[in-house]
Amino acid sequence: MSRVSVAGVVPVRWLALYARSRQVPVSLASVVICTVAVWAPARDGGGGSGDPRLPVLVLATGVLAVSIGFGGQDLALDRTAAIRWVPRRAAHVLLAGTVVAAVLLAAQAMGSERATIEFVVRDSAGLTGLAALGAALAGGQYAWTLPFAWLSLAFSAPPATSTATRVASWLLLPPGTSAGTWTALFLLVTGTAAYALAGPRR
Amino acid sequence: MNFRVLHIELRRSVAPWAGGVVLASALAFLYLVNGSWWNGTTAWTAQWTSLALWTRSLLFYLWPLAVGFGALQGLRDHRSKMVELLTSTPRPARHRAAVPAGATAITLASAYAFLVLVGGVQVLANTRYTHLSWLPISLVGALFLVAGAVLGMGAGRALPSVLTPPLLAMGAFAFTALMHLSLGRTATIDPATGLTTTAPNRLSLLSPEVDEVHSTLVTLSASVHIGQTIWVLGTATTGFALLVAATRRARLLALAPVLAGAVLALLVLPSDPRRMYVVDEAAAKPVCDGPVCVTTAHEDRLADLAGPGRKALRLLHGALGDRAPVSVRENTAVQPEGSTPRWSRTTVLFGFDDDIVADARGEEQLTWALLAKGLVPGCAPVGWSGFGGDEYAQAVAVGWVLGELKPLPGTPAGASGEVDAKARPVWKELKALPPAEQLARINAMRAAALSCKGDPFDVLSGKAAR
Repeated sequence: MSRVSVAGVVPVRWLALYARSRQVPVSLASVVICTVAVWAPARDGGGGSGDPRLPVLVLATGVLAVSIGFGGQDLALDRTAAIRWVPRRAAHVLLAGTVVAAVLLAAQAMGSERATIEFVVRDSAGLTGLAALGAALAGGQYAWTLPFAWLSLAFSAPPATSTATRVASWLLLPPGTSAGTWTALFLLVTGTAAYALAGPRR
Repeated sequence: MNFRVLHIELRRSVAPWAGGVVLASALAFLYLVNGSWWNGTTAWTAQWTSLALWTRSLLFYLWPLAVGFGALQGLRDHRSKMVELLTSTPRPARHRAAVPAGATAITLASAYAFLVLVGGVQVLANTRYTHLSWLPISLVGALFLVAGAVLGMGAGRALPSVLTPPLLAMGAFAFTALMHLSLGRTATIDPATGLTTTAPNRLSLLSPEVDEVHSTLVTLSASVHIGQTIWVLGTATTGFALLVAATRRARLLALAPVLAGAVLALLVLPSDPRRMYVVDEAAAKPVCDGPVCVTTAHEDRLADLAGPGRKALRLLHGALGDRAPVSVRENTAVQPEGSTPRWSRTTVLFGFDDDIVADARGEEQLTWALLAKGLVPGCAPVGWSGFGGDEYAQAVAVGWVLGELKPLPGTPAGASGEVDAKARPVWKELKALPPAEQLARINAMRAAALSCKGDPFDVLSGKAAR
C-alpha cells in the first residue's frame, strides 16, 4: 500500500521541488500582478487601441519575471543529477512562454481587447526565446538583459521600411508580417535549443 | 572614504560593467541606427544643445538599465550570504554603502560624460557657435543615471530577490515609455487644421527622457532643470537611505525623500509646454549681413547665404515692386507640432531644414529656394511634410520671376515630372495674361499663401474665386 502511494507521489514531488528551486511561485505571482497593474490603468484608452506598445510592455514584464527561473539554486549540484535535462529545460522554456501569453490573454478576456492572439503568441514566443538565450549566455540572473535590450531597440527603431529595421522592430509589427513571425520563431528555436542543450551559464 | 576599497570596487564589481554597457550600447545605438538624430541642423553632432538633448533622450533605456544594474549591485551582499558578518564590523553602514554607490556613480557618470564627449568633438568640427547653456541638460542627465543606480541599489538591498533587478528595470522602462506615450502627454485638437497633436505635460518631466529635438533653438527652461534636480536628489536620497537602513521602520522612512522630491518637483516644474521647451534667446539672436540675417547658432552659414539672399530680394523687388519683402531671415519662431505656420509679408522667412533650402546646391539654387520661400512659404502643418499645391505654386511663381520654369531643389526624385506637368500649363497661361493682371494674380496668390487660407495653386490657375 505504502509503495503504491510513494510511486504516485514521486513525480509530483519532483515537480514541486523543481518549481520551488526555479522560484516559480514568486515569478508567477509577479507575472499576474504586473499584468493586472499595467493593464488596469491602460483600460481607459491611454495609448489608443491600436498601439501595440502597451501589450508588448506587459508581455516583456512577464517574460522578464519568468526569466529568473532559467537557472537553478546550485548549478553544479543540478548537473550531477542523473536525469535528462534537455527535455526538461526545453519544456520549462516553452511552458514559461505559454504562461506569460495565457495570463495576458486571460486579462484581455476580462477587460478590453487590445492585442490579437497571433500578436500575443508571436511576441511572447520570441521574448521567451530571447530570455532563454540570455540564460544560456549569461546565466539565469542576467537572462533578462537580452529581452530588455531588444525591447529598447524596438521602441526606438526608425520606421520599419527595410528588412533590417523590420527585424529590429519585430516586437511591434502587426501580426502576420513575415519578418516579425520569422524573427520570433528563430529566436524561440535558437533560445530554447541553446538553453536546453547548454543549460544556464555558471 | 577608503580609496583602496573604492579601487577594488571599481575593478571587481558590476560597476565597470554598468558603465561599459551604458557607453557601448548608447554609441552602438547612435551609430548603427539611422534615426532622426542624424538629420539636418538638429543632428546630435550639429549643435551643443542638440547634442545634449539627443543624448538625454537616450536615457529612455539607459536610465532603466542603470536602475537594473544598481539592483544587481545591491543584491551582492545578499548573494554572498555574509550580511551578518558585514553588519558586525565597527565601520558605520553609511561608509560601507558609500563605496559601491560611489563606484557605480563614477563609472556611470564617466560613461555618460564620454558619450557627450564623443559627440562634442564632432560638434566642435560642425559649428562655430560654442556656449555652455547646454551643460545643465547633460548634468541633470548624468544625475538621473547615478540616482537611478543608487535607487536600484537601495531597492535591491531592501527587497533581496533575483526578481528585483529585472522587475525594477522593466518598471523604470514602463515609466519612461508611458510618460512618453500616454500618461505624460496631453492631446489637443487644433481647431484650424483638425489634427490631433500631443504636448508633454508636467508629469512627463519626472522621466529623464526629453521630447524629440525639432529645432536647434529649443532648449529646456531653468525651472525644468531645478524641478528635475529636486526630484533626482529625492530619488538618490531614498536609494542611499534604503542602502543604509537596517530596520523595517527605517526602510519606510527612507521612502519619504522620494515622495517629498516628487511633490516639490511637481510644484516647481512648469505645466505649460511652452515654458518647458523654450527658445534659446542667445542662440536665436540674429546675425546680419545687410538685409540677410541668420541666428547666432548658424552664424557660419551666413557667408554662403548673403549673396543669394540679396539677389533673391532684388529679383523679388523687380517683380513685385513695393509689395516685395525687404529682408531675409532665418525663422526663429518655434511653433508647436501640427500648428499652421505663420508667415510675414515683409520678410522672407526660411529654415535650414526646409527641404527646398537644405537641398539647394550652389548659389543659384539657393537663390531660387529663397525666392520660393518669399513667394509661397508653404502651409504644411509644423513638423509635417507634404507635397502638393504649395510646391506647384512655388514652381510657377519662381518661374514667373525668373522668366523660365526651373526644377526647384527639394523636389522628391520621382515627382519632378509631375511638378513640371502641373506647373507648365499654369505658367504658360499666366505668362499670356497682360502684365497688370499677372501681377494681380501673383499678389492674390501670395496673400493666400502667406495667410495659409486657400490653395495658392488654385489662385494662380485662376480656379479660385477672388
